[in-house]
Amino acid sequence: MKEPSKKSEIEYCKVCRLHHDHGSRHKYFPRHKDLLSTFLDRFRTKIADVRFFLKNPSVLRPQEQSQNRVWCVFCDEDIVELGSSFACSKAINHFASSDHLKNVKQFLSKNGPAMDCIDDFRISEANVATWRRKCQSLGSEDASSFKGSCEQLSGTSNDIHNKLAFKTMDKIENVPAQLINSHHSSDVLPLQYNTNKYQISHSELPGVAHYGSYLNMDSSHLPLHTDPPSNLPGNGFGKHVIPSRSKDYPSSQDQERKQIKGSYSSPGEVGMTSISSSHSSDACGNVHSGAPPPWLDANDGNSSNVQLNQSDMSSSFQAKIPGNTRKLNPNRVGAAWAEKRKIEIEMEKRGQTMNSKVDAEWLPNFGRVWQSGTRKESRKEFEKEKRKLVKTESISTESEPVKIQPYISKRARRETGENGSG
Amino acid sequence: MSSFLLKTLTKKEEIDRIIRDTIDEVLVLRFGRCTDTVCLQHDDILAKSVTDVSKFAKVALVDVDSEDVQVYVKYFDITWFPSTVFFFNAHHMKLDSGTADHTKWVGAFHIKQDFIDVVEAIYRGAMKGKMIVQCPVPPERIPKYQLLYKDV
Repeated sequence: MKEPSKKSEIEYCKVCRLHHDHGSRHKYFPRHKDLLSTFLDRFRTKIADVRFFLKNPSVLRPQEQSQNRVWCVFCDEDIVELGSSFACSKAINHFASSDHLKNVKQFLSKNGPAMDCIDDFRISEANVATWRRKCQSLGSEDASSFKGSCEQLSGTSNDIHNKLAFKTMDKIENVPAQLINSHHSSDVLPLQYNTNKYQISHSELPGVAHYGSYLNMDSSHLPLHTDPPSNLPGNGFGKHVIPSRSKDYPSSQDQERKQIKGSYSSPGEVGMTSISSSHSSDACGNVHSGAPPPWLDANDGNSSNVQLNQSDMSSSFQAKIPGNTRKLNPNRVGAAWAEKRKIEIEMEKRGQTMNSKVDAEWLPNFGRVWQSGTRKESRKEFEKEKRKLVKTESISTESEPVKIQPYISKRARRETGENGSG
Repeated sequence: MSSFLLKTLTKKEEIDRIIRDTIDEVLVLRFGRCTDTVCLQHDDILAKSVTDVSKFAKVALVDVDSEDVQVYVKYFDITWFPSTVFFFNAHHMKLDSGTADHTKWVGAFHIKQDFIDVVEAIYRGAMKGKMIVQCPVPPERIPKYQLLYKDV
């Protein structure tokens, strides 16, 4: 057996999610490079969402704070926006920090491509400064209008919530109008979306497309169902949400936008809007009826139908095997045996009686512990041993059992013989 | 308890059938007794990991006390329990874990991840056409034992 040229310690690669002992060579492996590019692209989309809020700062309501979170893969920490007044403020501060930069450099030197893409994963100080200025201006606008509405409230009730609101307003400069729903301008919408898969219909903001992917990806937070009219439990949002089961987020947005135009309900209503069924054309069918998806053209659809109709045994059989529908490596272990066996099984299923009875003496291909030749030799050796064992057992059973008698000496036998004859 | 979750085989025909019917997936056969403590620990790890590896592996337990199975116990040179043997397309896969016996894994796994890593290494090796793979488990977590040659 060949010894590896360099034995390194076993390490865990975060990108490949694999233990390996390749050492520093691991980052040059093509598989690692592919996985790294997808890994970094995913993070780039997340940071793009944060950059959207860097350019367009918007207020963050407390009920949305827990969902406005980002996992930083370089620092291995979750950035939750608790106690922050603006969307992604903690995330922006984190991405601009020196610790994050250090972690990014470390990650890239360990895993990855050259350092030139380092700027993709951080936010510069200049951008943060402009963002802060924008927040301040936004906050001052909010504060002035908030004060006006607060004066009205103070006369009406001594509600504890209002008291707290006034206190926090004094403490924090740029506090948004947390408790007054009517203040929300129609421009600032993104934070009212609840998960990555759903989107409010009427917003035409360009950055909204990315917004959903930025928010907490864990859809278990909100148990959304496909029944449009049902209300979501715990849905604290003032806007409606259109449910969609599709996992392909960008494409579903466009479809929803088209469908939703005619079915918009008034703001402030908690709940969902039903999509009128007239939009779904029955002639085309849907995913449940097994119709081809709309992104296939009519021409392509015909060819795909033809392909599906082909009753190719091997392809249909491969489709039944979970996971691998693509062609398997023909050099894999036992490939020839596997192909033969698949054909046998298929024929058995079709009803053709094959020699399905397995020979009782069949043994799998096995390399024994103390063998020194090929695996066939080990099987032969084992069968030889078995035959020997069977022979010795049969010999022992065939021979008559020896009767054990006490020893009688010659003299005694002679004497008994003489006594007998005499 | 985990023997309720995993199939237990007691006859040679059952073992033959499962080896022949597992196509393009790793077959993990554990030889041991369900009453032995180390086997119980091993079975627990297997039962917990079976869903994680279900897309590329199948796990089955073999009871070594059954008469019918003794031919396999001899053929696979099993002397320690639990012993785990790996197959891919009815071909035996060897595992070099630094121990004396490369034909099987002897003893229990310490953590689920070790078992999953071993099965994954075997699957990857088998898909590339290799009949022996390097064990990805660090040496401190590999059980040590003595192999006797013809009772010597």
